Amino acid sequence: MITKTVKIINKAGLHTRPAATIVKFASKYSCEFFIQKDGININGKSIIGVMTLAAEMDSELTLTFDGKDEVEACEEIVSFFERGFDE
Amino acid sequence: MFKIDEKSLSRKKSITIKYFYETIKDIFNIKLISNKTGFEKIITTKDLLRPGLALSGFLDSFSYDRVQIFGNTELIFLKQLSKEQQKNTLKNFFEFKIPCIIFTNNNKPPKLLLDFANKNNIAVFTSPFTTTKTSYLINDFLDDQFATRISIHGAFVDVYGAGILFVGKSGIGKSEVALDLIERGHRLVADDVIILTKKGENILMGAGTNLVKHFMEIRGLGLINIEKMFGIRAIRYQKRLEIVVELEFWDKDQSYTRTGLDEETITISGVDILYVRLPIIPGKNITVISEVISLNYLLKHYGYDSAKLFEKRLQTKIKDKSNKDLRGVDYFEHDFE
Repeated sequence: MITKTVKIINKAGLHTRPAATIVKFASKYSCEFFIQKDGININGKSIIGVMTLAAEMDSELTLTFDGKDEVEACEEIVSFFERGFDE
Repeated sequence: MFKIDEKSLSRKKSITIKYFYETIKDIFNIKLISNKTGFEKIITTKDLLRPGLALSGFLDSFSYDRVQIFGNTELIFLKQLSKEQQKNTLKNFFEFKIPCIIFTNNNKPPKLLLDFANKNNIAVFTSPFTTTKTSYLINDFLDDQFATRISIHGAFVDVYGAGILFVGKSGIGKSEVALDLIERGHRLVADDVIILTKKGENILMGAGTNLVKHFMEIRGLGLINIEKMFGIRAIRYQKRLEIVVELEFWDKDQSYTRTGLDEETITISGVDILYVRLPIIPGKNITVISEVISLNYLLKHYGYDSAKLFEKRLQTKIKDKSNKDLRGVDYFEHDFE
């Protein structure tokens, strides 16, 4: 299991487009992927779940990956956060 | 069996007096009688206190951090004191960091108490109800506010009045089962992110989040609004959790219950909930099975346990030596239909 903390760096926050991209990335992998924010733990493969976080700029999220391809999944998704969702 | 991650649990540590007042003022008819002051102060516990002993001078184990309820007794006690005694008593009382004060029975506090409260930035409210009822209402509200909350990924539907939570891996078809159930007249509580709140010792209430409410995602279709589409009859805001159904791909190494004699339960935050594991195989109608799970649960609830009764019948049959005929009817009397 890998746990990583990431920060939202783009102005618009985690809105619909990046949320959809994260879910698309996550769905490629078989490992479980969860995101935690303010005591709420959501499934990162569910678009409604990711949008529920309504994560604004500068908020911190904890990502948890668990499964056999967790390393690859973690790399791709964390890098997407670090690039500010390419915006 | 699906597990609940520690990270899914949360609990409010405090609420402000502002939030407390604004949330309950209309539902409990609470009125502010001091200045609008001390609204930034916080409440950190669900417990209440009637400060009779503290007012009489015993301040040793005074739970000052609780919401202070002034009933008739406290008021009469204050009123019978002389001006000087009243001043001393209140001076000592207001030295503590009290969150707020609530008078009951629509009582008005003595002017001196209001002056002290305004000076010390402590809000004073009055409730139209008796002390017992006010305490009950406020305690219930605070209990809910400070209760453990659990966020779960799943679909929560009221099926014939029993709250069924569908859990399982992403993409296994929880939302599709929920949609099918809604089509058949059952009611959606929430899909995807469910927030369970513990109420009392053995009740878990489930609701959706305020952003999502009754939206749902169907793979290949996107987001749909169930309330708009199917109307008010297809939704509800909250429901007690009674059954957890875990959907999973058929696993030949797993043993699935065949008789239903040994019920499995899952413990969520100290509450035991009936747990059913449903393997998905072609030709299996999960929606209809869910309805049967609910009906069977209701039958059991009303004292009829199919599995146990069948077991009893079998035992009687084994003991009964006189009738070994297998057929269910003795004789087809002129029945050619």
